[in-house]
Amino acid sequence: MSLMLVEVLSGGVRGGTSILYAALGESVSERAGVVNLGTEGSMLAGALAGYAVASQTGHPWLGVLAGAVAGGLLAAVHAWIVLHRGGNQLATGLVVLFLGLGLTSLFGASYVQAQAPTFKEWAVPGFSKLPLVGDILFRHDPLVYLSFAAVPALWWLVSRSRWGVILRAAGERSEVLTTNGRRVLPVQYAAVIGGGMLAGIGGVHLSTAYTKAWFENMAQGRGFVAVAVVMFAARQPLKVAGGAYLFGAALALSPALQARGYGINQFALDAVPYVATLTVLIVLGRRRAADLPEGLNKVFEASPSG
Amino acid sequence: MTSDRRGWHKAAGRVGLAVVAALSLFAVLMLLKGVNPLRAYGDMLTSTFGDRQQLAGILVRATPVILAGLAVAVPARGGLINVGGEGQLLIGGVAAMGTSLALQNRVPGPVALVLMAIAAGLAGGLWSALAAFLRLSVGIAESVATLLLNYVALDLMFFLIYDRWKDRKGSGQPATRALAANERLPLLGGTRVHLGLAIAIVATLAIYAVFRWTSWGFKLRVVGGNSEAGRRAGLSVRSLMISSMFVGGLLAGLGGFAQLAGAEYKLRSGFLFGYGYVGFLASWLARHRPIGVLFSCLLLASIAISGDSLQLDSHLPAASVNVLMALVLLGVFGVAGKKRET
Repeated sequence: MSLMLVEVLSGGVRGGTSILYAALGESVSERAGVVNLGTEGSMLAGALAGYAVASQTGHPWLGVLAGAVAGGLLAAVHAWIVLHRGGNQLATGLVVLFLGLGLTSLFGASYVQAQAPTFKEWAVPGFSKLPLVGDILFRHDPLVYLSFAAVPALWWLVSRSRWGVILRAAGERSEVLTTNGRRVLPVQYAAVIGGGMLAGIGGVHLSTAYTKAWFENMAQGRGFVAVAVVMFAARQPLKVAGGAYLFGAALALSPALQARGYGINQFALDAVPYVATLTVLIVLGRRRAADLPEGLNKVFEASPSG
Repeated sequence: MTSDRRGWHKAAGRVGLAVVAALSLFAVLMLLKGVNPLRAYGDMLTSTFGDRQQLAGILVRATPVILAGLAVAVPARGGLINVGGEGQLLIGGVAAMGTSLALQNRVPGPVALVLMAIAAGLAGGLWSALAAFLRLSVGIAESVATLLLNYVALDLMFFLIYDRWKDRKGSGQPATRALAANERLPLLGGTRVHLGLAIAIVATLAIYAVFRWTSWGFKLRVVGGNSEAGRRAGLSVRSLMISSMFVGGLLAGLGGFAQLAGAEYKLRSGFLFGYGYVGFLASWLARHRPIGVLFSCLLLASIAISGDSLQLDSHLPAASVNVLMALVLLGVFGVAGKKRET
């Protein structure tokens, strides 16, 4: 039984990492008052760019860089239309998703069969020998360890740093920044593009470490799981990590059970992230709604129509 | 009224401009892939619009998208954002298939079709009304709830086609059995176009009329413009919100029914994948005006169908046509955005 627990939890960390990166990015973006449903597109862009560059140069870390740039560029399109042209955030985000889907399909066809150097599992000396925890947390690829560092770093950045105050002000009461003589737009651009870069790195993890291949539409809804995680976790990096691993574990549970002869339906587990998020929103109800950055209220409700 | 009509020309001009800009940008991308854009566009035009079967393909493709687009436009009139067309389409398809499985061909075909349509509309309507109810009871934004429910619907359909409703005698692909011949919508004019198109067009005109000439349409507009004003004027904002979401979901549910009974005849794993989101975008493209939704959907369906030519004639992946669609939409949103907000 404990063996299976380890398998599910370490599988949750492995499978949840791409979701975690994307969700961390989306939570930064949402803190600035911008929802990006194009997260899935940024993941795809990152997955392809990372795989292609790793394949061409032989260096997976250059792939990470390329994936971040590609994810950021796609998010920049979203930022420009939404922040400069007044486009609706939800609609524009979906368009950006289709843009990412199409672009990666167009430029990705030649990489479907390509070989690329990938990230290998590396057991952390000492820590990986720890009972349970060692197997769950310390036998992974380097991008997983990088995400361990990214979570507290982003928590500090958002909740404790000076920039974090400005970021949250941009999402809550942008007038406050304006009255203080600060410009809101650069902060929001940085948050959205930075969020896209993180989603791009999530994509790189997917293609160069998790599946070790590129294929069309390979994110398979993980970008939307990430958006759900952010709602589930109310945009707090530590809770985001918990949510990403929980949902990663839900996805790892079914193969582990099936390997042991228990039939459980994959799709019941696939629905877990969405049902859990809805449940959290229902249970916490208005309290959670009050946590929403003011700037986001306008996005999720009250559309000007006609 | 004149201002309305002038708005029409402007909107068409904006879309035209966006299409030209998108075609130019996409041409550059094709050049990068070593494809001659002029020849590719020539092929796209001739094979998409020059062929009766492909033209029919556009209409078949547009049918569920139109209904999904109206599913966004109706709640939007009342100030609600329905991102759930995707899930409501699927739930409609699931309910229609479930009805057919339950009836086991024991009733005459037309009766079965009517029952399937009713089940699909009700299921889609309840699925979306659930989101409106969650907003009113616990304060979850309807856009969030509808988005999350899309995936619940998708996983429900997957569960059914991989497990409970799987056709054991089939090819081994996850799919239900096909509808019996008398449970299928009649085809029109010797093409693949089916009666669902008529349903979509009638629905468009009906919503247009409802918006224009009924008190429900007027009240919705008041609430959508300013819900507080509506409340003070004695309107029941709650029932307007729930009913507009219900009608939206009902239309999308019918879209799922139309696709099942008119085009695909069975549920399979790619059933209506992405159609709901395209409908959402079509409604925004048309600023939630019913007749405009109809034309937006025809435009987006034409672009989607032209992807076949990209694949067959220019040897690019069919999905790359999504770039063209996205560029058109970004063009429209980017040019029109500022005005839209006011």
